[in-house]
Amino acid sequence: MRPYLAVILDSFHAALSSRVLWIAFIAIWILLGALAPIGYREDLTTEFRRWDFDNGTQLKAMLAQGLADPQQESTALGRVSAALPEDLQRQLKRVAKGEEVRIRTNALADGLNEVMDRQDWHDDDAWKATARLRELRDLDAKSDDELSEVMKKRRSRLRIEAALPGVFQARASRSILLTYAGFDFPAPLPFGKEQFDMVTNQFVLPLLMNWLLGFALIFLGILVTASIVPDMLQPGSLHLLLSKPVSRSLLLLSKFLGGCAFVFLCVCQLVVGLWLIAGLRLDIWNVRLLWCIPVAVFLFSVFYSVSFFAGLRWRTPILAIGITCMFGAFVLVVGAIGGYFDAFVSQPAAIRSMVLAGDEVLSTTRGGVVQRFDKTENVWSPLSEPDQRQGDLVLPLTKLSDDTVATARIKGGRFNPYGSGSLDLQLLERGTDWEPEPAMRLPIATRRIFAVPGESLIAMNTGGLMAADWDSVLAWSSDETKSTSGTKAKAKNDSESAAPGNWLTELIRKRGGATSDFQSILPAGVTIVQPVRVAVSDDAQWMILYSLGRITRLEKSRDADQPIWLATAKRELDGEASKGAVIAISGSKLLVAREEESIKILDAESLRELSGIELSSDGSVHSAIGLADGERFMIVYSSGSSCLVSTAAGTAALDYSLQYDDVESVSLDRETDELMIAHDTDRIDFVDSQSFQVQRKIRPSLSGWRFVDRWVITPLRTLTPQTGELGQTVAALVGGKSSVTIGQNSADDGDRIRFKILRPVLSCAGFVIVMLSISCLYFARRDF
Amino acid sequence: MPNAIVDVRDLRKVYRSWSWGRRREVHALRGVSLQAHAGEVFGLLGPNGAGKTTLIKTLLGVVRPSGGGASLFGLPAGSTQARQKVGYLPESLRVDRHHTARSALRYYGRMSRMGPSEINRRSDELLELVGLRGRDKESVRRFSKGMYQRLGLAQALMHDPSLLVLDEPTDGLDPVGRNEVRNVIQRLSDSGKTIFLNSHILQEVELVCTRVAIMALGEIKAIGPIAELAKSGQASPVFLRIAHSETQSIESVRSVVANHPVVDPATSDPADESVELVSVDQRPSANEWTMNVGLSDQAATDRLVDRLRAANFSILHLETKQASLEETFMRLVNQPSAVEAEPIATSSGHATDSQVTDEISA
Repeated sequence: MRPYLAVILDSFHAALSSRVLWIAFIAIWILLGALAPIGYREDLTTEFRRWDFDNGTQLKAMLAQGLADPQQESTALGRVSAALPEDLQRQLKRVAKGEEVRIRTNALADGLNEVMDRQDWHDDDAWKATARLRELRDLDAKSDDELSEVMKKRRSRLRIEAALPGVFQARASRSILLTYAGFDFPAPLPFGKEQFDMVTNQFVLPLLMNWLLGFALIFLGILVTASIVPDMLQPGSLHLLLSKPVSRSLLLLSKFLGGCAFVFLCVCQLVVGLWLIAGLRLDIWNVRLLWCIPVAVFLFSVFYSVSFFAGLRWRTPILAIGITCMFGAFVLVVGAIGGYFDAFVSQPAAIRSMVLAGDEVLSTTRGGVVQRFDKTENVWSPLSEPDQRQGDLVLPLTKLSDDTVATARIKGGRFNPYGSGSLDLQLLERGTDWEPEPAMRLPIATRRIFAVPGESLIAMNTGGLMAADWDSVLAWSSDETKSTSGTKAKAKNDSESAAPGNWLTELIRKRGGATSDFQSILPAGVTIVQPVRVAVSDDAQWMILYSLGRITRLEKSRDADQPIWLATAKRELDGEASKGAVIAISGSKLLVAREEESIKILDAESLRELSGIELSSDGSVHSAIGLADGERFMIVYSSGSSCLVSTAAGTAALDYSLQYDDVESVSLDRETDELMIAHDTDRIDFVDSQSFQVQRKIRPSLSGWRFVDRWVITPLRTLTPQTGELGQTVAALVGGKSSVTIGQNSADDGDRIRFKILRPVLSCAGFVIVMLSISCLYFARRDF
Repeated sequence: MPNAIVDVRDLRKVYRSWSWGRRREVHALRGVSLQAHAGEVFGLLGPNGAGKTTLIKTLLGVVRPSGGGASLFGLPAGSTQARQKVGYLPESLRVDRHHTARSALRYYGRMSRMGPSEINRRSDELLELVGLRGRDKESVRRFSKGMYQRLGLAQALMHDPSLLVLDEPTDGLDPVGRNEVRNVIQRLSDSGKTIFLNSHILQEVELVCTRVAIMALGEIKAIGPIAELAKSGQASPVFLRIAHSETQSIESVRSVVANHPVVDPATSDPADESVELVSVDQRPSANEWTMNVGLSDQAATDRLVDRLRAANFSILHLETKQASLEETFMRLVNQPSAVEAEPIATSSGHATDSQVTDEISA
């Protein structure tokens, strides 16, 4: 191997003597020098910012009620409202009178910050009725003398959050403030150190790497190395090389490896520099960042293999650069088309929720389509579609009976998280061929609905849990026989007549509170603060509520006239309260999977911890469902892979007897005891939850753009090296996760980002091997 | 011969290419056969486009033959084992600009599978030998053409090869440099190395080569020691001055020299000789004629003298000359090719080495 090592070493020698390399080095050092002064400071989260509000409308309504409702005067809400600046109070009072007043969220934030500066509005007795975090309780237990100014402000903020439940985004107790050369950046970042590390590792560093390594250095590298092969082919150089006792193919491969030396030297400087800055200045010692070095060189090798062959064939650097640029443009276009098809064709078709209503299968998709499976045509037949693709958000389907399914469509989807405007329940009935029909009005900002068959329909929104009488729901049914207390017209009239009401009713409705149809079921002292999750037991007589790190077991009152459920057990989880969680009930066991933590199995009655189990490396748990046997759960990772968690032996263990790789969603039909597993976009397997045997499958035919995607775009992407997707490989390697879930605060509606790791690597490796094989064959057989 | 280091048998090379839908063929080698033996300094002479470089590239495995065969040390030409024993100095050596003389020798030494200590030892020796000691740490960017050639010679000798293939080794050198290179070649020859030298500088070849092959149009025109080449297949020039009587005309002497049947007196068979009357001139001041005649050997000279005497011509002066290598070379390369009827290039006619290279490059 000595001759070939000599060629590779000589390439490094040549690279180091190149002026361009030293110019690149200097550019890298300047960049690293510019980044080096970046640092951070960690402080208690105090000031409110406009992005801290989860529901501005609700906040405005709550504060207005606090000012206008005499019953609120001595409550925490009333005291906070009364402490607001005068001009803001005037505006809120006009809101309370029913006037349309626009108040900027910045103004609300500034008003609350002014409140925070004072302490006179606080009253211990008033706050006893609120749900106080452990942190607040600890701070309340201390005297003012024991607290610094910052801690006092923190305490004030927590008091305000307790007084206004449901309107704030979950925030870590400590915030990050970036600094540059000792000077603070204007605003603190809306997350703590742990999240800062995650965001930096998962998004910032990969993005930086992709731009610097994936574009700038690759282009520079191609410019510099394009002349290597034409230079080698100069007669006085080539004939001498070929006269040496070496293999032509290995000589060429050595030249290729040597050509990567330039990029390797630059990438090493840049990556090691960034790694040191991240470690020394931001305390993020992420060794995985060094993976960027081989990945960047690998990415360069894809383009260099094209330049290499072009240089070999035509012996001119200009042509080699030109052809490589054209190839890069082609790869970019194919990648863009592929990305477009992913975003607008395949991903919107992914099944989000599904129900088995008798012999019919209904589902909703990520793109907001409600659809029914047409067995005769073997296609998904749309029942309702959004006005614009991906415009609307559809609540997961809830089965009321074999003939009736409920859902709701939030117009504008993610851009209208509070469900402003009309948010009506939609009923899909067999009698009307499953055509969605509008029904009763839901509480504002409803994110999830649960059925307690024969008793009530529960809606969860940012303000709480509210139940509507079962009969009043079915009164909207087009099937008159199902309604026991009047007709649809009567129900409509009741609902509409209740709509204007008095100013207080309207305010309460605006803040997402109880309406004429829906009455709150949460007991005193239990509030919903994001992140929140709800799991309902099989018999729907009790449920588990997870809210801001606190778990509460709620049981339905035995008194049929008492709508408020009883809180029979509470438990506060250790660690950061703002962490999201996934919960599921199986029999008497509760599964809790929080971000970055091991899975916990709790006794669902006492909330005592029974066992725990470490997660596999497939990312975080995206969703979970309890099986009917009371012993097992099926969990789906954000990567799309799934497995079972078995608690049969007293301790939790992962069980891979039901394993899928690309799960979109899972549902359990309690009547048939069948697991419905939606996978590979819109396919469904019906699996017996005892034997795990697949009972039947839905494999819909492809049509339209999905057909084009499968048979034109996918083969084209397979044959084209997916260099753009190597950025995802970098993100996965640097972040240490193959997938992440974003926006999973209140329901199973978080966006899963599944990084493509292996596919781009294989695609690029295959391309490089083919190009090098052609080059070697040409070089070995050619007379020079 | 059993100790032929370079053995070429009926070697043929045809370059084929396509241009604008037309197939082009260039016959660079047309059945070349030659042998170079151990210890010889073998010179390959020929004009541009004769096929010399193609022959060398075939010996080194840079191009593949279209027919025939060649071997070095009994091993197939171009094989790794054969190349291990060959040192090559290309015609216009190109060393990457980041090298110094020493680092270049280290690089080429590694390419020849040499170890570090051996490389260091040989580098010192060879830098001394080629006169680059003291400038061995200088970048080759500052090297003159002559220094490049010296470096090239040093790299060719790095792994102490048994056969040296030198393509225009003194090209670009000043007279002093040429002399030094010739001395080096002579020393190497004395030490038993076989040297295969390709050059178009006839004086250089004449000075250092023990045997020479002259190539033209892809063929070997002549091969052998230089002294024999001068005689081979061509009459030696003989200058005569003869006296004549009033009755003898210039046509009579022409007929004696050119038209007289030549018969071997021993066998009465026609003699295998050639007599070429180059010129006959009458001297204006006396009854004398001067003649330049080409005669194949001494016997032919004797017979011409006999015929002139028999015709009553008086021979006043006779002088024989030896042809120079240049004359022999010019005579041979200007000879019509045995395959001249066969077009060199089917579409564009005659092609030179450089044209061939250009066509392949294109």
